[in-house]
Amino acid sequence: MGKDIREDIAWAQINKDVLKSLESPRKLYWVILFIALAMIGVAVGCEIYQYTGGMGVSNKNNSHVWGLYIATFIFWIGMSHSGTLLSAILHLMHADWRKPIYRFAEAMTTFSLMTAGLFVLVHLGRLWQVYYVMPYPNERWVWPNFQSPLVWDMFAIATYLSSSVLFLYVGMIPDLAICRDNIHAGWRKKLYTVMSLGWEGTDRQWRNFRITYLTIACFLIPLAVSVHSIVASDFAMSNMPGWHVTSFPPYFVAGALYSGCAAIITLFIILRYVFRFEEYMTLPIMKKLVRLTFAIAMVWTYLNLIEFASVWYGHDQTAKDQLIFKATGPYAPFFWAMIFFGSILPLMLAFKRIQTHLPILLVVSILLNVGMWLERWMIIAPSFAHGHYPWTWDHDQWPSLVQWGIVFGSFGWFTLLFMVFCKVFPSVSMYEVKEMVYHRSLALKHKPAVKGDY
Amino acid sequence: MIENSFNRRGFLKVLGWGGATVALSGCGNTSVEDGKEFVTSYVQTADYIIPSIGTYFNSTCAQCNAGCGIMGRVREGRVLKLEGNPKSPINNGKMCGLGQAGVQAHYNPDRIREPLLRTGDKGEAITWEKALALINEKVGGVKAENVAFLTGGVSGHVKALLKNYLDALGSGHHYVYEAVAPSIMRAANKKAYGVEMPRLHLDKAKVIVSFGADFLGAWISPVHFSQQYARFRKADKGERGVLVQVESKMTLTGANADRWLAIRPGTEGILALGLINALAAAGVSVPGDVVGAVKEYTVDRVSKDTGVSAEHIGKLAALLKERSPSLIIAGSAVEGYAHGSQNATAIALLNQVLGNVGKTVEAPSSVPFPQMAPTAGNRFALQALNDNMAQDKVKVLFSYGANPVFTAPASMKLKENLKKVPFKVVFAHYMDETAVEADLVLPLNSALEDWATAMPEYIAEGAQLSIQQPLMEKLYPGTLGMGDILLALLKQRRPEEYKGYEDFYSYLRSAMVSIKGALGGANEDDDTFWDTALSRGVVKLVGAPVNISSNASAKGLVVPAPFVEDSAYPLHLIPAVSASMRDGRNANEPWLQESPDPLTTIVWDSWVEMHPKTAAKLGIVEGDIVEVASRSGAIKAQVYVFTGIHPDVISMPLGYGHEAMGRYAKGVGVNAFKILDPIFDKETGELAMHETRVKVSKAGQRVVIVKDEGPAGGNQMGRKIAVRMSSSKVNLSEEV
Amino acid sequence: MSITNLLENWSDFRQQHPSEDRPHREYKWAMSIDLDACTGCNACSVACYAENNLPVVGKEKFAHGHSHHWIRIERYWDNDGREFADQGAQFLPMLCQQCESAPCETVCPVGATNHTADGLNSQVYNRCVGSRYCNANCPYKARYFNWYDYPTTDNVWPEPMNQQLNPDVTVRGKGVMEKCTFCVQRLTVAKSNARSEGRSVLDGEVQTACQQVCPTGAISFGNLVDPSAKVGKQWKQQQVDLNKDKQAKDVTESAAKLRGYRILEELRTYPSVMYLEQLRESAI
Repeated sequence: MGKDIREDIAWAQINKDVLKSLESPRKLYWVILFIALAMIGVAVGCEIYQYTGGMGVSNKNNSHVWGLYIATFIFWIGMSHSGTLLSAILHLMHADWRKPIYRFAEAMTTFSLMTAGLFVLVHLGRLWQVYYVMPYPNERWVWPNFQSPLVWDMFAIATYLSSSVLFLYVGMIPDLAICRDNIHAGWRKKLYTVMSLGWEGTDRQWRNFRITYLTIACFLIPLAVSVHSIVASDFAMSNMPGWHVTSFPPYFVAGALYSGCAAIITLFIILRYVFRFEEYMTLPIMKKLVRLTFAIAMVWTYLNLIEFASVWYGHDQTAKDQLIFKATGPYAPFFWAMIFFGSILPLMLAFKRIQTHLPILLVVSILLNVGMWLERWMIIAPSFAHGHYPWTWDHDQWPSLVQWGIVFGSFGWFTLLFMVFCKVFPSVSMYEVKEMVYHRSLALKHKPAVKGDY
Repeated sequence: MIENSFNRRGFLKVLGWGGATVALSGCGNTSVEDGKEFVTSYVQTADYIIPSIGTYFNSTCAQCNAGCGIMGRVREGRVLKLEGNPKSPINNGKMCGLGQAGVQAHYNPDRIREPLLRTGDKGEAITWEKALALINEKVGGVKAENVAFLTGGVSGHVKALLKNYLDALGSGHHYVYEAVAPSIMRAANKKAYGVEMPRLHLDKAKVIVSFGADFLGAWISPVHFSQQYARFRKADKGERGVLVQVESKMTLTGANADRWLAIRPGTEGILALGLINALAAAGVSVPGDVVGAVKEYTVDRVSKDTGVSAEHIGKLAALLKERSPSLIIAGSAVEGYAHGSQNATAIALLNQVLGNVGKTVEAPSSVPFPQMAPTAGNRFALQALNDNMAQDKVKVLFSYGANPVFTAPASMKLKENLKKVPFKVVFAHYMDETAVEADLVLPLNSALEDWATAMPEYIAEGAQLSIQQPLMEKLYPGTLGMGDILLALLKQRRPEEYKGYEDFYSYLRSAMVSIKGALGGANEDDDTFWDTALSRGVVKLVGAPVNISSNASAKGLVVPAPFVEDSAYPLHLIPAVSASMRDGRNANEPWLQESPDPLTTIVWDSWVEMHPKTAAKLGIVEGDIVEVASRSGAIKAQVYVFTGIHPDVISMPLGYGHEAMGRYAKGVGVNAFKILDPIFDKETGELAMHETRVKVSKAGQRVVIVKDEGPAGGNQMGRKIAVRMSSSKVNLSEEV
Repeated sequence: MSITNLLENWSDFRQQHPSEDRPHREYKWAMSIDLDACTGCNACSVACYAENNLPVVGKEKFAHGHSHHWIRIERYWDNDGREFADQGAQFLPMLCQQCESAPCETVCPVGATNHTADGLNSQVYNRCVGSRYCNANCPYKARYFNWYDYPTTDNVWPEPMNQQLNPDVTVRGKGVMEKCTFCVQRLTVAKSNARSEGRSVLDGEVQTACQQVCPTGAISFGNLVDPSAKVGKQWKQQQVDLNKDKQAKDVTESAAKLRGYRILEELRTYPSVMYLEQLRESAI
């Protein structure tokens, strides 16, 4: 196994390489940006149509009151967990291989949360009254219903989003200072000056910074776990067969980490190419990441089997009928695709040659996320199709193009936010990579080549 | 208690904001200020009219001929909802879905709003004066015998005026036509009981065997029968009545039967005779001649002919013997054949043998004012008219309360014959298929804005005159009531006699007041009598009792053997009369279109009911579009497969397939009337509705049927949802 | 309402349903439906359209499952492979069961559906944001969503059909959940009349639209608190207890002759609608 990173990269070289990503990415960057914008256009068109026409155009109905929006909402919430995993959990565990890749993972957290939030709006029948969900003082003393898991969702996601943004920002302050010092004019100079909060790299600043960063990391971990547990409560707290499952919270958290890790692999490969980060996003790091993903995939598989087993051996005939329906009814192809993509396909990741084979990994990681998206859909749709009340079963409902268009566009929205971020802010943490290089070189009893102005 | 301290300060805040908003929105002219709308003052109104409080007025439902009393909720000058009139002995405050939709007939956006005269291919709006003058001119230009008046069932003062008008013309022909009336049964009843419409006391019976009578759905007076049915099921003594339904296609009543027996079409009479034979064998006293006549109807033979198992025949005979009185009803499935009269007579004979006549089958009262007594329509009337039209004997045709172009089978070529009539006047609510063919279309008031009286044909006891009074102002100034039109036409002919009546209302009032003694108001002054009558909605009539006779005899009673196989047209078509669509006159009321058919739960379309066996044989699955072809034509519809139908039979609902009429009816489903074969009952000459033989072939397409039931169909999937238990386990008399 | 009030009356605000120790004070509206009397004629459903301004959605939208029938007639067959449906059908009018412990109430994020002091499960259209969680959690699927804007863009009530609309009932726009209210507009009037006369609503004084129209009188409706009410007597005679999830019929053999049951009771929704089992004669 090779080295996670070369110990002899000069610090100035790190600055140079990373700062270059703010200026001249490969052409592919612009292609991606354009595609993302086009995808957003599709979604905006669909949403306007849905807003004016009514929710009915999405082809939901009184049996299928929820559809792809909620499924995709959970998907994006799930994606967000990887950032926290890499930056907070691995930070506390002193796994320093995370350092070159945690920044973009954190950005992913923030942006996937922002994408998920949009689905709440898209889903509501009367989105112009979404503020009713928030507790705000009013003359009539009308509050939201604190019993409702959706209100918990609202709090959890709002907290998670604000904390994630804070975590991302705080962790970026030293790098923003580097940017500020390397750019001499223009809007970027102003932006970095303001955002770096007068960072000078003094000893006191570093101490405070470390404590703050650690505190937020500690705060974020239970928060991340609780957020997806709460999203799981949307289902687990209800009485629908197929939803009313006690193991849903850990199952959702595992699924979230799983899809997040898969997404990091995807973005790792793309960023590495687009921004020429070959020196930092190295194959050994990828290998570790892939192994982590494999482990989480197995945890997810285990929890999935537990869910099935507890339903199968339980006394709830309705839930059992539901499970059988899922596996044999009209949703069976999607259900088995989910099992294949989620549990069988990751077995490939156990092979060493694949662990560093980027083209295969790109495809596999995307397919894993397809599987995870299917998982969310397979939680929602079959339960609506085949619930408690046979008279209102509806096995034929199929989401309209409006739903698909908005789901499709959400990927564009995420990509746009992410790509713009990578172009404006350093997507590899310069100071932490320097730390990493320094520690590695110390370990090799080499004197690092201290150069540059830092 | 939860305190609610919406204090003065809060109130002022709200007032401030609210006031400002009102002030802002007040800018600019409203439609009232622009003179487009008028403000109606509530300063000077009757003291029972209070804004925002509904007031109820009694009237009579005109959605079908049952004549239920209704009570319209009127608020701010609009009728909002109909309830049953509790004072009406027909429906006792209850209603059916069809009746509920009466408001949609009234507020229907497709109503005709002014008289229309055809000039070439175009319709032109004209004034009533012009229209009535034109009628006068046309009627004056032909001989009286060349004037024909086609109506649906009529009664009350409109009928009296109509007769007067025809008399005034000389002797115009009055054809009373109802497409789905039980006219063969009437004739058979007349023979058997001496009365056309005996009173059936379902509530007194312990067992009812109904041969295809959908008395809970669309047969004669369903709301009345439904109430009797409820008492039959839950008798005061706690003995639950048993309902056995024998028919080839399940009706709503069949779906509520304790035992539904699928019978080969047309063999109902055979089963009735077989039951008599079985009863005689079981020791029930049966007259000798009857025993002789039925002795060849052994259980084995009857079972073979009818397809009803010997076990069920035996059980049924035992049940009838054991529990008395019973009631045997002959419905439309019995009379729909060329031997319909014989079938009905056989069933009347069964009633007689069981001793039900006089117990559960009773005589109606006679009606004191025969000029207002209901004239029941039949199908023969249309054939007679059609023949006359074909022979150019009709020069001026009036059509009221009927839509013959829609309901006539294609084989009658009615539309073509209609073209031979030089001047056709259609009184209509909608531009229906007949109105489209007319030369002059006269728009009628809706039933909720019109004056009329009706004398229901079927009422449990005595007789009554139901009053139909307007529940609100006319929606359109250009419509007129039938009574008003007839009065105007009469004034053309007999001005002296009718000049004292300003309008139909004044005629009706004076006509009623003049006979107030007979209407129970002998001791009241005119105003009190009239007001009481209006507020009650019904006036009881004292009718003389009529004797019912047990004349049914086995003499000359021949029930033909079951149908022979017809390899070209192997299946029987049963045109189903559904509770909401009936003959299609109410098809433009969207509540009815969206109200699922009780058995199939299908909405907004026609369908072909088919037994799974038949479907399997033809390789058909649910949703297949099939072509149903008879000797008289072919139509296409979707197939619904279920076990409530005999394998030799398919069924299609009537009332769908309008080509005109309005936005909700037009183009919905197909018209099953069109393919009925011209086969007639041998005794009455009535069109035998169930005689048509058809073949079914796949048309290639398949659709998803639009219906309320889901993929589970009628399966509860092991959940405890609709639960059933054996009646022997329950003591109903203990129940509240 | 103030913070002090909120704190002082906290227990009132968090009253649980059902609760033996806190019985309903003046009213508890309940229903019983006799399935042996119900003929499946659909009159109740049409009456509900008339009373409650339900939109007719048309064939295409009906096909997509967008229908609005607050009371729907379900029709079940014996599915044991018999050649003919020779015991007829089982009709079941299904409407909002006005559960005492309603699954829809707890999940609504904005509290648009909640329990009234009369034991109704109310739906506040103005407050509804259209998350549809209530429907998702309703085991009976008795809630209907306004998938389209029926009064305006869909023009379900073209002139002059709109004049039929009941002014006592809101015409719902798009994005709002709705369901059977037990004709709350009628209850309100009856209660207000009774209050002005210083009494409670008498049995039979108020009828729901479906009850009023039902030709066989299969539906009884009334106040369970009122000892003279028919519906209460029926519940009592059938030994159906509002606050239990298992009734005498399910436990005691001697109660097997009773007909009363509540649908999906085992989910502990404590419905306010009792059904009486359909009967079939065994002699034929």
